[in-house]
Amino acid sequence: MADHGHDHSEMTKGGAHANHILSERTILIVAGGLFFLMALTIGAAIYMPEPFKGWTIPMQCLALAIAVAKACLVVYYYMGVKFGTRLIKIFAYGGFVWFFMLFIMMIDYTTRPMEPVPGWEKQTSSALPRDTVKNPE
Amino acid sequence: MSDHVAKHGDGPEVYFQYEDIDQQQESYVVGMWSFLVTEVMFFGALFLIYTLYRWKFHGTFFGAHEQLNWKMGGLNTMVLLFSSVMVAFAVHFAQKGKTNKQLVCLGVTLLCAFGFLVIKTFEYGAKFDHHLFPNHSFSYADPEHHESKSWWDEALPAALKIEKHEQEGNPKNARLFYSIYFTMTGLHGLHVIIGIIAITALMVLIKIRSPLITDYIPTELVGLYWHFVDLVWIFLYPLFYLIPR
Repeated sequence: MADHGHDHSEMTKGGAHANHILSERTILIVAGGLFFLMALTIGAAIYMPEPFKGWTIPMQCLALAIAVAKACLVVYYYMGVKFGTRLIKIFAYGGFVWFFMLFIMMIDYTTRPMEPVPGWEKQTSSALPRDTVKNPE
Repeated sequence: MSDHVAKHGDGPEVYFQYEDIDQQQESYVVGMWSFLVTEVMFFGALFLIYTLYRWKFHGTFFGAHEQLNWKMGGLNTMVLLFSSVMVAFAVHFAQKGKTNKQLVCLGVTLLCAFGFLVIKTFEYGAKFDHHLFPNHSFSYADPEHHESKSWWDEALPAALKIEKHEQEGNPKNARLFYSIYFTMTGLHGLHVIIGIIAITALMVLIKIRSPLITDYIPTELVGLYWHFVDLVWIFLYPLFYLIPR
């Protein structure tokens, strides 16, 4: 075991244990949070009073913020990243950083018209013909 | 109850390339996470496609999403969240060495997974009958097909039925919405099926006291996978079923 020589794994552990046990109480509290947030997301989308319901972007941001909160609960507690070693953390965070970096691609799509490409339909078209930038529908 | 992880027999063997059992177990978890990162990349591209077309064709996407049954989607969210909680308990009991409780939790997870697929079948069945599957028979905003009845809709309990909405928007863009919907939820469903296979295999190995299961790590890894499946659905649900106008 590790009683000989130096223990290099201390560097990656950062005081954490790979085999942390989540207590039953924590599991139940997190579960309560998840179900509450689920009810909140449905309530915000379906039962929101009229003037607010029409605000597309704030409502979408709210729905996504709730989804991110739920994702954080699952990743931090159930997937154990909160109690994980530094190595586990860097792999887990790396994936989500990559996910948000993907959306940098939207810069291209939002600033440049699409080239029409021939599809399998008879008329030359694409899912995004050139005039959709001015006239999306 | 002690906070130390229970071990079966002499506990797991430490292989020669590791300094101690902690390092070995850490590398299992890191391995699983690197697989999950490839899954994030895989679904990430699809979420990007969704974002792009939703941004371009918001009006039609809103119209098309009103055909989806948000109550069924919500029920599925509840089923998956509950299964995730059960998996968390399964890992907890695996760490404490309580095999019977662990098996019960995994069994409930399995039931939830099948429940999810049954609910999804009702949703997909109705979409097929209403000609909303994006193949050659796709038809949107066509009164003849819109009025068509579907057994999958009729069979639902009243509490799960939604009011019928007009099919609004450009049929071509609506087709795009349904392509993305079926691709993303279909791939998610495939992950659920893979999860079912993994959980069943794990339960069998635990039940027959396989020498492959020496500690809680196999349960932890299957659990990570299942939480990931839940994670994807957490985003799919608001993005497809709850689009604001």
